[in-house]
Amino acid sequence: MFSSFAKAFTNLFKTPQTIDYPLTPIEQEKEHRGLIEYGQEACIYCLKCEKACPPGAILFVPVENPPENEKNKKGLKYHYNPYLCIYCSECVRACPKPDEALWQSNKKSLPATKEDRVNESWFELERLKKQTD
Amino acid sequence: MKKIEVSLDTVREVIEGFYEYKKWHFLTLNGLALAENKMEVQWIFSKYEALEETVVYFAQIAYTDVIPSIVDLIPSAIISQRELVDMFGVQVEGSEKGLYLDEDSLQNPLSGCSL
Amino acid sequence: MKQTINIPLGSQHIALLEPVRFKFECENEKIIGVDSDVGFVHRGIERACTTKFKFDSIGYVVARVCGLCAITHSLSYTVAIEKLLGGEISKKAKYLRILLLELDRIHSHMLCLSHTCENAGFEAMFMRIMGDRELVMEIQELLTGNRVQFDYISIGGVNRDLNSTVALKIKENLYEVKQRVLGYMDEFTNNWSLSLKFKGIGALSLDDAYIFNAIGPLARASGLNIDVRNEIDYLPFDEVGFLMQTHSDGDINARNLVRLNEILNSILMCENIINGLPEGEIFTKIKGKPNGEAIVRFEAPRGELMYYVKGNGTAMLDRVRIKTPTFASIPAFSHIFVGQDYADAPAILASFDPCLSCTAK
Ligand code: SF4
Ligand code: SF4
Repeated sequence: MFSSFAKAFTNLFKTPQTIDYPLTPIEQEKEHRGLIEYGQEACIYCLKCEKACPPGAILFVPVENPPENEKNKKGLKYHYNPYLCIYCSECVRACPKPDEALWQSNKKSLPATKEDRVNESWFELERLKKQTD
Repeated sequence: MKKIEVSLDTVREVIEGFYEYKKWHFLTLNGLALAENKMEVQWIFSKYEALEETVVYFAQIAYTDVIPSIVDLIPSAIISQRELVDMFGVQVEGSEKGLYLDEDSLQNPLSGCSL
Repeated sequence: MKQTINIPLGSQHIALLEPVRFKFECENEKIIGVDSDVGFVHRGIERACTTKFKFDSIGYVVARVCGLCAITHSLSYTVAIEKLLGGEISKKAKYLRILLLELDRIHSHMLCLSHTCENAGFEAMFMRIMGDRELVMEIQELLTGNRVQFDYISIGGVNRDLNSTVALKIKENLYEVKQRVLGYMDEFTNNWSLSLKFKGIGALSLDDAYIFNAIGPLARASGLNIDVRNEIDYLPFDEVGFLMQTHSDGDINARNLVRLNEILNSILMCENIINGLPEGEIFTKIKGKPNGEAIVRFEAPRGELMYYVKGNGTAMLDRVRIKTPTFASIPAFSHIFVGQDYADAPAILASFDPCLSCTAK
């Protein structure tokens, strides 16, 4: 009983456990698993990452003006959906050129707005992908 | 894992003879869709404080069969029986539908034939 | 003339974190009958596992069954696949798996304890335990890269190695947590408001624990020696200092004490692992397609978790059966409620530590 009072009293002078956001910025872990980033020049278009991804957040879709890369025979373009990605980094482990073609950053994905058409544009890509298969 | 085949007529007797409540732990009832409108029902037990001793009684049945209930022998089986009814659309004595699925949802999702 | 009234608890209730509905049939204050509805968050994961995903990504799918014991789910599934493929993983990977499993147990038990306090009306204690739980969450993020969805286990080993700075941080934080937990022990045994609400309430006798196949801390608080860590050999729990924690009272207080003791035991295991981590690879490639049946059990924070996996030699599996701890305990829960006061129902429910998204999967 008395110890509770004593504790309550000392608690009055403790610093709070929460931080004063936005005055104090949130500390970002260096090793946080965040968004996947892609280096187009190093990619050899083996599509291993696309196959390995559990939710299907990486799609290579044929486009009219494909990126310049001599390995890119089928004229594919890399697409990544940060809202579908679960940050498991299976793709990076599957990639034959990790760190150059595909790597995991510690950035967090930003919230999307309606104007971004996150879902609709992704569904269109998926449809395109299905047609070419 | 030891697998023992039983039939629906004898399963209650077999489990009654086998199950000692201080020795065996009833894990769950499991269903498995097979080809040709058949399914397999499994009653899975494990032994207390033994290393990796599981016993599985199984029976191959048609979806139209009625599975006898073992709730009077093992009261905790009721919940897995109700799950089996929902997921496979078979009948288990004394277990009603509607643990997980509502009337207007997809029915018998795991039965592999009636979607 | 006797009259009974039906009072529901849930599906939305301030004392509940997750959607479950209990219908209590009450005679004055006493509960005489219970009916439960648990299917509010059914997502059809078992079906998705056999129709939508290949076997090598299901480890990530089943981790989404539940946020609190995600690691136990992906671990059980992965071990089942490793059994079917016949691969052996390195000793270091095994140790790292136990490390994360136990860290997960610590934070999950702390969450449960804080909620029992909240339901006893002790908000300050709730805040304290939740605040201290951050220490564990922090090291989980350091170790795996994420706070909740660890995605740490893959078929053949683990995804990240433990480096020395992280190991040091884990040791520091766990030491801190240990001091705090010893403080809670005192609070939970001696504090008046907690004792009044917890001692002698919601008791389950040993015999009933056997009859209703109780599992996890619920069963161990009644003196039933069931802990899957004692009954499996895929991970070397005995080498890292696992000790079963039991109690004989079977009431809410006993469950809390079992959980507290388990936290201490888990901390000890984590320390042993970090001090004696063997050298070696963390990942061994295992090739092949699963064929045959396997049953794998693990001790999740809430009790025994079982996976039944059947493969047919292709990338798609025939069946993934998930038996979650809360699901199997529902008959025992319903039994405990009978004869208790309605006013105690939220506190009793919180002491079960129910996880409904596991149950409905
Ligand atoms: S991190 Fe995982 S989910 Fe995200 S793109 Fe890579 S494989 Fe897919
Ligand atoms: S796995 Fe790597 S190299 Fe292959 S397509 Fe993907 S990013 Fe390119």
